[in-house]
Amino acid sequence: MTQNQGGDDSDVFAADLLRGHTDTIVLGVLRRGDSYGFEIFRAIREATGGAYEIKEATLYASYRRLEKDGLVEPYWGDETQGGRRKYYRLTDAGRAVYRRNVDAWVLTRGVIDNLLDTTGKA
Amino acid sequence: MNAAIDSELLHRLLDEAFAPYPVTAETLDLKQEVRGNLTARAAELQAAGATAADAARSALAELGDIGALLGDVDGDAPADVSWAAEERRHRVRPKPAFAVRVAILAGVLAVDVVLLVLQFAGVIPRDELWIVGQLVAAIVLVGWIVADALRQETTTNYPVPRARALGFGVASSFLVAGAATLFPLSWGVNTAWVVILGLFVIIAIGLFVFLGVTATNRAKPWAVRLQASRSDVGDRFEKDPAAAARFGIYTVVIFAVAFIAFVVLSFTIGWAWSWLALVGGFLVMMLVLARMLFGESASKGGDR
Repeated sequence: MTQNQGGDDSDVFAADLLRGHTDTIVLGVLRRGDSYGFEIFRAIREATGGAYEIKEATLYASYRRLEKDGLVEPYWGDETQGGRRKYYRLTDAGRAVYRRNVDAWVLTRGVIDNLLDTTGKA
Repeated sequence: MNAAIDSELLHRLLDEAFAPYPVTAETLDLKQEVRGNLTARAAELQAAGATAADAARSALAELGDIGALLGDVDGDAPADVSWAAEERRHRVRPKPAFAVRVAILAGVLAVDVVLLVLQFAGVIPRDELWIVGQLVAAIVLVGWIVADALRQETTTNYPVPRARALGFGVASSFLVAGAATLFPLSWGVNTAWVVILGLFVIIAIGLFVFLGVTATNRAKPWAVRLQASRSDVGDRFEKDPAAAARFGIYTVVIFAVAFIAFVVLSFTIGWAWSWLALVGGFLVMMLVLARMLFGESASKGGDR
């Protein structure tokens, strides 16, 4: 789905911002319960209202990074037909990192809102 | 139209996409993961009205560059980084408030236990109401200290989530409560107390087993990566499973002997002192553990 890249500059800017938080977004999705690649992809797509899509390749890279850092634990599902699904489970470390990143984001958002003077503008 | 997805086509396309890359365990693992996700995506496209073949093809096309996925994920820890240096870099000092709190709690607990033992030994007059109060205090204190300690962030670990830390605290309290029922038992054997003791210990074991089985990693990324890049950091039991099995057998034997001694002493000397057999068993087990973990590898020398 490359159409998102083709939009005007503000589209690209927002997509970049979103991509910078891929790991935290994935951790956030897994907080609701164990999930597999496509389900995570779909959850993010729905949350953005279909406006921006994080590419699947970006997500696979994120899973591998998170797994290597011990923030998620993979396990194989027991689907009998079709492909078996690789599920990811949030670890205690993943939970802690998620909280930290969210706190950092909330702080940063406040600072940027102040700097850009967004209050009062729609 | 909502027929099964064309999994044969999907598998063939996937094989083609992965064909240029060497077959390693990692590639196969990724291929299997991608296969599961593509199947789900193709099913979704088909539900939206695409033909089976189109669904399979566009699901794969959306995937993007497989080569990029198979490249190395950013940096393993460089080989020359020492554990000590990294530990210093990521050092987290204990919170002063926590240190003071635990020091006070531990002090109160120590006084509490000493007073209990003195009353029990008859050095100071025995007061049953006091003893009950002190036992309850010990139960609460142990749970508190355990839960509080687990909630702290350390240099290598993130804090345990609140609910799990509380679970460990409660489990420890139940274990102490089980031990505490030995006091009323020492005044006179009573079936009700034996049942309560068994119940407390079983609840404690059940909780510990549940918490242990559902435990996930809480080590920090720097520690996880460093540990993965140098497998020699693991302890002896990890390197030598036979040693771990041997330790398991020793433990069973030690506790079987301790339990038999406990029963025999209970019926000969009496309840007042027979529990020492169990304490002795525990001490022997810890000594064996220490010796097996550290003793031998040190005496072998050059092992580390």
